[in-house]
Amino acid sequence: MRPIPLAIVVLLTATSLATAPLYNSYWMHVAIIAMMFAILAASWSLLAGYVGLFSLGHMAMASIGGYTSALLVKWYGIPIPVGMVSGTVMTLAVGAGIGWICLRMSGPYLAIFTLGFAEIIRIILSSEDQVTNGMAGLRVTPLFDSATRLPYFYLGFVFLALSLLLMGLMVRSRWGLFLRAIREDEQAAAASGVAVARFRILAFAIASAFAGLAGTFYGHYIGIMTPSVGGLDLMAVLVVMTVSGGIERLPTAVGGAFVVEFLLELLREYAQWRLPIFGAILLLTMRFARNGLLTPFWLQFVRLGKVRDDAAPGIQ
Amino acid sequence: MSGSAELVRGAGLNKHYGGIVANVDMDFTVEEGDLIGLIGPNGSGKTTLINILTGHLAPDSGEIFVGGQRTNGRPPHIYAAMGVARSFQVTQLFGRMTVLENLLVPGLTRRHSRREAVVRHARETLEFLHMGHVEQLEAKNLSGGQQKLLELGRCLMLEPSVLFLDEPFAGVHPTLRDELILRIQELHQQGRTFVVVDHDMESILRLSRRLVVMARGSKIADGPPAEVQANQAVLAAYVGL
Repeated sequence: MRPIPLAIVVLLTATSLATAPLYNSYWMHVAIIAMMFAILAASWSLLAGYVGLFSLGHMAMASIGGYTSALLVKWYGIPIPVGMVSGTVMTLAVGAGIGWICLRMSGPYLAIFTLGFAEIIRIILSSEDQVTNGMAGLRVTPLFDSATRLPYFYLGFVFLALSLLLMGLMVRSRWGLFLRAIREDEQAAAASGVAVARFRILAFAIASAFAGLAGTFYGHYIGIMTPSVGGLDLMAVLVVMTVSGGIERLPTAVGGAFVVEFLLELLREYAQWRLPIFGAILLLTMRFARNGLLTPFWLQFVRLGKVRDDAAPGIQ
Repeated sequence: MSGSAELVRGAGLNKHYGGIVANVDMDFTVEEGDLIGLIGPNGSGKTTLINILTGHLAPDSGEIFVGGQRTNGRPPHIYAAMGVARSFQVTQLFGRMTVLENLLVPGLTRRHSRREAVVRHARETLEFLHMGHVEQLEAKNLSGGQQKLLELGRCLMLEPSVLFLDEPFAGVHPTLRDELILRIQELHQQGRTFVVVDHDMESILRLSRRLVVMARGSKIADGPPAEVQANQAVLAAYVGL
């Protein structure tokens, strides 16, 4: 990133963190949830945007991560950080498995398969109420014993920053080029020497691991996990966030998450009309701005201070 | 045969698509230094043969060898890593990636490759193809002929020992076609081995040192162009269309 936009990002971030103790508790909660969705949106953009694997099972991965951590802490009394790591590793493995099963699938077939997977997970979590407490929800040990939400705010920021750093390193590396090549033309990518199967599985595994991390953080923050976390409603919200922001870039996916999450709260008084509104935003995005509503702004932002067009190859 | 090293060999290859015969007991050997024109009427099995010899299609029976190693069942990226490059009958590029990125992909799949060296090599390849001025253009915005050249460039980035070009002259303007022919001849003089499939007989005859003719899934002639052109079976295959 060029010096001027980088300085702006650092300044805004530092200001947000420094002034966090002054935030109203309700809006701090909204910001924490937005950061969780930002991790989910960025990781889904890695899978659906960079590789072109339109999975509808991403929230199910978050659910698996959250429940894994919650149950391991509850049954075995392990420290919560160990539980969260375990939940993340579990979703890494499940994601790799789904990626392997879906190797020959793409487009609508992949979407339907992962939709089915998500529904199976939700129904299992709902039905096995002796283990998960079903629709009533599983009580989850809070991460912090704190009177305020501030520790969760800072931890959410750390998770988001680390997630973006790792995913950013990946997409800027040769792996990022290979993933985009797979999206463009799998056969040509294979002919060019890209191990297509290996990278598809890797993309599923890594994206799912970040979703699992977000799920574990959510569970140990909110204090309860319900099967609806992995449901289609939240998956639809995630799709709106990522696509309307910009599915093919991590920053625009993150931006979409923040904008939609805050709008959801600002429009709360419109109750169920919020969802048709966001549906309309999605339709308008697909019709008029398929690269995302935030993408033009992002492209202008990163060019601040540019003197001549000397873009390095492979960097977006 | 000249006794040169055998680069790619298919032995007893058979491939059927339902009731349609694509390859029947097909034997095909590519030796180092060859510049083979692979011709035949539509539906004679040429592209199927290339797909099998580059790992994109598994034969029903028969064996494939690359550099003497049996490679049946290996995925296409392994063939690419072993130095077998191919272009496609209908150009297949990474459309929304830039011209330069299209070349970086194969370059960076090579073991121990370093990004700076690959970028340098990619730019040299673009200069060789007279495409240096479009390196930041998205590949989908190139003309048809430029896309063919870019696909050739993508093959070259693998530092291949053999290149299979499937209809490289199809739909290409005569001027650009001549340039393609010159590039192929230049690369051949530098030591690359080529198998070129095309229906443009003038271009094939200008290029080839050896002609292989297929009809109905089988090889019906294999030899110097003059000899093959006089072959009655070859004439019958084309007239019989």
